[in-house]
Amino acid sequence: MASGHRAQWKGFLKFGEVSCGVALYTAASTSERVTFNSINKVTGNRVNRVFIDSETEERVEREDQTKGFEIENGQFIIIDPEEVAATILESNKTLDVQAFIPSSEVDDIYFDKPYYLTPEMGAEAFAALRDGMRKSKVAAIARAVLFRRMRTVLIRPQGNGLVATTLNYDYEVRSSRKAFEEMPKLNIEGEMLALAKHIIGTKRGEFNPASFEDRYEAALAELVKAKIEGKALPKRKSVEVSKPSVLLAALRESAGLMKTASHKPKRTAANANAGTGRQRAARGAAEKAASSKAVPQRKAS
Amino acid sequence: MALRSYWKGYLKLSLVTCPVNMTPATSESEKVRFHTLNRLTGNRVVSQYIDSVTGKPVKDGNDAKGYARGENDYVILTDEDLDAVALETVKTIDVEKFVPAESIASVYLEEPHDLMPDNSVGNEAFAVIRDAMKADKVVGISKLVIGRRERAVILEPREEGIVLWSLRFGDEVRPEESYFEDIDNEADPDLIPLVQQLIKKKSAHWSPDMASDPIQDSLLKLISKKKKAMKPSNKTARGEPDASAKSNVVYIMDALRKSVAAELKSGKAR
Repeated sequence: MASGHRAQWKGFLKFGEVSCGVALYTAASTSERVTFNSINKVTGNRVNRVFIDSETEERVEREDQTKGFEIENGQFIIIDPEEVAATILESNKTLDVQAFIPSSEVDDIYFDKPYYLTPEMGAEAFAALRDGMRKSKVAAIARAVLFRRMRTVLIRPQGNGLVATTLNYDYEVRSSRKAFEEMPKLNIEGEMLALAKHIIGTKRGEFNPASFEDRYEAALAELVKAKIEGKALPKRKSVEVSKPSVLLAALRESAGLMKTASHKPKRTAANANAGTGRQRAARGAAEKAASSKAVPQRKAS
Repeated sequence: MALRSYWKGYLKLSLVTCPVNMTPATSESEKVRFHTLNRLTGNRVVSQYIDSVTGKPVKDGNDAKGYARGENDYVILTDEDLDAVALETVKTIDVEKFVPAESIASVYLEEPHDLMPDNSVGNEAFAVIRDAMKADKVVGISKLVIGRRERAVILEPREEGIVLWSLRFGDEVRPEESYFEDIDNEADPDLIPLVQQLIKKKSAHWSPDMASDPIQDSLLKLISKKKKAMKPSNKTARGEPDASAKSNVVYIMDALRKSVAAELKSGKAR
């Protein structure tokens, strides 16, 4: 199946006593970012990276490099990760479903890489699993040795197939709860919330990530050109922060702006109860603000 | 790998702006860290820059980023230069649009970051943007320069903070149709209830334990055991890889193999 594509992995998908032959295909690749060369500032020449012994300072060729982990300051145990990988290479080639969890409990922070999972043999079992999971509104948690590591994989129905997402290890994920736990608990209500909801209402829409275009490379080329020509590089405008004392005014102005700026608001009706009187009152201020330089504005680029 | 550096900038919704900082939500800092060693001496191996023309080592601090203008001709760019790129998206996350939560296909999610106010001045403005998104069950759409690329990002309110996801580019995501088109779109209706029964039997609640790493766990155990056994004067693990170092390796490999075998057999998500 999935003719014309190369599978990353072939094996079995096992749930209960049922198993079917499956293949995994990369669903997304990672593109490269703009890379720079490393240059010696003094000579302007490129630099190469070499590896040396930290004590003898002699070159260490690749074949003499090995890995180890530190037991304590400066004491190492030599161990080759390739050997570690080899211990699990002899795997049983099986994506073993351990549990089904409610779809609502899927935590996307753990997501690593997505793969398309397709049947190779036993297509009936595959389709039954897909439709059963969809009906029960669950995702499957499976474990498998994939690409030389024991991994947890989340499997969910999508279209006629399944999407298998490898998960980051628990220790790699700082739970958002922990990261955010020290922040002050603030609950926004009343007019502020109503105004913010109104602003959101005017900016509601659809978004297709596939249509997005990266402007960085072009902007960088411009910058390099300016530098070559000896022009002063533009200074970024300083940004004015909305202090608590002016926050309500900024929200009112924004809500007013939205209304004056968009003559064809499609979905504003949903939030029309945000107080039209107030907006009308705010409009004058907003128009004034729009022409004032104090307002942080997006620069056309 | 050390934690990647903080990003500091601004979160902006229309005329409301607040200072924010961002850190990756995932990190390898707790991973057992392997160092590169010289097999012959047992010492650490470190990297060094060598001038490609003179062949001499380059002093720390003398290496710079070069933008290739021609063959062997580079324009040196400092971090300040790079900061001056004429894109507001280098410093400001301007939320341009809101879409229903869940409307972005998960294959586009690339990397999660934790976004929070950078100082107390911004707390309230941040909370307004967060709570309004929560109340309307939407996520924000914006763009931001991350790792020398301008990326589409989504902002998802979460607890007290906001998770910012960078999204993959259109040409990075492969269309699912070409993989799924040959698969039966309907399952045997008699089989589905059986599968649902099995699902019920094996149903569980999500727990981070399900994403544990048995190899890492065994390595950590072995390291702590080793630490306890090691006397301060004992230097045999270092220096030439003698018999005792060898036997350590054997011992470790054996233990790892056993733990993996147990993992594969147990069939438990632990």
